[in-house]
Amino acid sequence: MSSLLTVICSAGMPTGERVDIVRRRFSNGEGPRVSLVAGVRGDTPEGIRVAHIVASHLQEHHDKISGVVDIYPCVNPLAAHRGIRRWPFFDQDLNRRFPGRVGAHAPDQVAARMVEDLQGTDQLIEVRGAHSAFTEALQAQVRDTDHEAADLARHSNVEVVWARTPGPAAPSTLVYQFPRSIVLEGGTGNRLTTGVAESLANGVLNILNVRGVLPDEALPFHWAGVARPRVVRDDQVFRLRAEVGGLFLPLIRPWAPVEKGQTIGEVVDPIGGRLLEEIFSPETGRVLALREQPVVLPGTMVARVVSGGEDG
Amino acid sequence: MAEVYRVEAPYRGAYRLERLTFGSGTPTVAVVGGLHGNELNGLHTCNILAGLLSHVRLQGTVHIFPAVNVFGMDQGMKRWPFDDRDINKAFPGNPEGSVVERIAYALLEASDADVCIDVHSASPLMRELPQVRVPLSGREVELGRAMDLPVVWRRAGERLDPTGLVGAWRQQGKAALHVLGGRGATLDVGDSRTMAQGIMRLLDHLGILPVPTDTGNTLVDTTKAHVSYTYGSVGGFWVPEVRTGDRVKPGHLLGKITEVIGGGPLEEFRAEREGVVVTMRTYPVVHARELLVRVADPVDK
Repeated sequence: MSSLLTVICSAGMPTGERVDIVRRRFSNGEGPRVSLVAGVRGDTPEGIRVAHIVASHLQEHHDKISGVVDIYPCVNPLAAHRGIRRWPFFDQDLNRRFPGRVGAHAPDQVAARMVEDLQGTDQLIEVRGAHSAFTEALQAQVRDTDHEAADLARHSNVEVVWARTPGPAAPSTLVYQFPRSIVLEGGTGNRLTTGVAESLANGVLNILNVRGVLPDEALPFHWAGVARPRVVRDDQVFRLRAEVGGLFLPLIRPWAPVEKGQTIGEVVDPIGGRLLEEIFSPETGRVLALREQPVVLPGTMVARVVSGGEDG
Repeated sequence: MAEVYRVEAPYRGAYRLERLTFGSGTPTVAVVGGLHGNELNGLHTCNILAGLLSHVRLQGTVHIFPAVNVFGMDQGMKRWPFDDRDINKAFPGNPEGSVVERIAYALLEASDADVCIDVHSASPLMRELPQVRVPLSGREVELGRAMDLPVVWRRAGERLDPTGLVGAWRQQGKAALHVLGGRGATLDVGDSRTMAQGIMRLLDHLGILPVPTDTGNTLVDTTKAHVSYTYGSVGGFWVPEVRTGDRVKPGHLLGKITEVIGGGPLEEFRAEREGVVVTMRTYPVVHARELLVRVADPVDK
């Protein structure tokens, strides 16, 4: 049994080359349709790696699948080719172009074609890496009003589920187009970190199990070993910003526990190394994200801290 | 010249938002250029305007911000280079937010005026006939027409997005105009002069100038229903046959898409209506379904 590889959209280059966006479909028996989308931005290779691992596992257990799993391993191949966030040439963030437009330029067409191809899916999971300047703890993000998605995301083997209030840009994102969507992310921006993609892939496989697509015996782990994260809301997530420009030096690792008032990093003078500012945690909790790119300006976010205990 | 906002920056000098102020009292006008660091016609328009205003005694106040995204300008970038964020998507800003949100907040505070103008170039891929874009109705239509620029384009929902500067001004109840002309990443001296003269006519209309200005030449006063959009159906090498400002009749050859290698013909484009070329693709390598030309009904049709 083998998966079906389909070109869902092909973007023609002026020089004659064609760039294909492909979908790999694993289908067997009756059951829900789950879609896994990676590489909407070109600087998130961790998500693409998750797609590879999940596809490899499904290939091995194809006969045990009940339903359909569609994997879109890289939606923005030209950006991935260069390791940049936006669709090149048009300089468009594909995740600000949904639901897309038929008959428009390539990014809009790809967005429209993706939305069309995803119609009828029962569960959309988008996998990303961290923002390019950050390391982030493994996390799932869902819309704050979508309790069904939050409940399901608790099975995704992450440290925390963040139920976010949609911002002004949310309607133009992929996941906003489909109810119950889950975003999985973590690791370091534009990097592959050993173990990150494997953990997120296990989360995807566990969701497939919870949705009835994969039986227990097809999981590469015992379900009891899956992390059971708590769900946090925006008022439990604190953005820490530098107030002076310089080099940010983190003094802690992502997902490390912190006490209220604990120093999580320093900003130092970029020429002499003199201490300019200490960054303190505003709450007791965990470090959700930490800046890796050291140069900061006043107002640059250097960390996110999620407040509260482990079992909140 | 007054520094209205400053951010210290590592490895280089501080970011400074500078404001030039001419005259005093009311009415007040704010003119912003260089919100995008690679749209230099806005900068040059502001500087021409500053030169003109320095020789007259005004009956009102004009604030000019020639270059908002100076760090982007230094590097030829549209967006703020540090984190690649667009200042024109950061309004109304936040004094405690990221650096572009702080700049946006400071600019919105410092540009408090009765009439506000945001001056841009087109993208580096396109050229636009100097124009003012206004909503379909309201005071901005009257103010935009007073500029007597080559194009007055009344657009539904024009810049209502409050994350942009024009939308943020409108949210505050100000009369806000979006002016653009020429091409990004280059300097179009004539288009910059045309836009500066249009702003001078607006100042005259508002009673700020003590002496009358010359009249302009509005070629197009239109809505979208009276504009033809030409898109290519294939990618290739775009060879234009007309320029912005040209008058064309139905059937007039606008340009061709040819093969990148060899130059063989792929697609030919002809005008659908009599009108004025207001928008032209300038960068010749084109992808399928990109905008190539816009032709709008002339005022004297």
